[in-house]
Amino acid sequence: MIRCDGLGLTLSHRPVLNDLSWELAPGSVWGIIGPPASGKSVLAKTLCGLFTPQQGTLHVDGVEMTRLPEPERVTVRRKMGMLFQNNALFDFLRVWENVAFPLARQDPSLSREALAARAGERLRAVGLAGSEEKWPSELSGGMKKRVGIARATICNAPVLIYDEPTAGLDPVTTSKIYDLLTDLRTRHASTVIAISSDIPALRRFVDHILFLHQGQVRYRGPEAGLEACEDPVVYQFVRGLGEGPL
Amino acid sequence: MGVVTTFANFFAAVGAPVLALCAEVGGILTLLFRVLWCLVPPRFDLDETWRNLHKMGVKSVPIIVLTAFFTGGIMVIQAAVFVKKFGATSLVGWGAGYAVFREVGPMLLGLMFSGRVGSNNTAELGTMVVTEQIDGLRALSIDPVRYLLVPRVISMIVMLFLLTILGDVVAILGAALFGTVLADVSLASFWVSFSQNLHVADVVHGLIKAAVFGFIVALTSCHFGITVKGGAVGVGRAVNNAVVAAALGIVLSDYLLTYALP
Repeated sequence: MIRCDGLGLTLSHRPVLNDLSWELAPGSVWGIIGPPASGKSVLAKTLCGLFTPQQGTLHVDGVEMTRLPEPERVTVRRKMGMLFQNNALFDFLRVWENVAFPLARQDPSLSREALAARAGERLRAVGLAGSEEKWPSELSGGMKKRVGIARATICNAPVLIYDEPTAGLDPVTTSKIYDLLTDLRTRHASTVIAISSDIPALRRFVDHILFLHQGQVRYRGPEAGLEACEDPVVYQFVRGLGEGPL
Repeated sequence: MGVVTTFANFFAAVGAPVLALCAEVGGILTLLFRVLWCLVPPRFDLDETWRNLHKMGVKSVPIIVLTAFFTGGIMVIQAAVFVKKFGATSLVGWGAGYAVFREVGPMLLGLMFSGRVGSNNTAELGTMVVTEQIDGLRALSIDPVRYLLVPRVISMIVMLFLLTILGDVVAILGAALFGTVLADVSLASFWVSFSQNLHVADVVHGLIKAAVFGFIVALTSCHFGITVKGGAVGVGRAVNNAVVAAALGIVLSDYLLTYALP
């Protein structure tokens, strides 16, 4: 489904991704973890085509993205839904308009009523029935996350990327959000990539882990194998030790 | 060695701001090209354009009316002393109209528009950048220039043009009122002086300037908004830069247009 070979990306004269190779099978669920500023969000945005790597290749569903001109990335991006770290809700649109936004772009023939109905349906699925007419500024952090998830998933894209889906949320809301993500993943059999700093909650959700440090892969494999990884950075990070290379 | 270092430091001190200025001017010109590219043939979001026309234009009416009314008044207050001294009442209508239409109207309203609408636009776009809303649009395969910037550029040009027409009318009314009260110039005398000495070209001159100023405010505010870096501090810095750049652009283009236009 997605294959990166030797990806390298430099932003503002600083290498952010370094010789990154990774392959995701269709329907797999990956978690990306690593210390702050290790390139996790940049990698997610690169997969969406928001950054163009200077080295390496990136194939999404067989299409090489890195040399693809911006207008031709549209077809690839339509295969992806993304929840951004800051939710990226458009504050000039109401909640239902935010959720319906990708759908309206994908299928311009849909009427406003049809869009509102589909958005309402999706909002009910994420437990936000009755919030359709609210503005994003009227929502709590957890509600914004849910709206972001509703927007990322409304087109039933085959690839879903969640950047910090539970950042800043309490344990109960975190658990509810992961239940919701699990439910969505089961129903649509999507390939899922989730980035999170809440390692225990993330590990319950994913099958595979990619560990990034300074833009380099330090671990790539089954979630269950993470404990056995002998890389000192991974070892320290996973166990939360004060002493070590980090 | 010391001399070489001194020269190097001098060129570094001069060169860095020059390069930064060139980067900003280059960015504005690139944005201009991208906006024009979306306009020929027109490819932009009509709903977003309508929303911006309302937000930037209709909501600016009170402040523009207030500014214009007192601007017209100020023209007469400044002239009142000499009008009384030389009995030049027959020149008040012409003087106020000429200054308002050709210079003071578009210039002051342009600066006011930049302060109210341009700064708001920069802050809004900058906040959208730092909260990843622009990335969100791009991830949905929506070109931010076409969806967000072109409607704003069109709205600012159209609305500053229309607001200047409104402002001109209000400023003349203000001038006539203040003239009657402060300089003993009757409304009839004001009207005769105004209508017999002014020409359509005077109005057109000011309106062309207004459209150009609208374009300058739009380009600078959009450029500094969309290139924000560094969170809330960056947004503040961008608003400051946008207002300064727009004011400079307005004054410089006013100078050039005054020469170029009839």
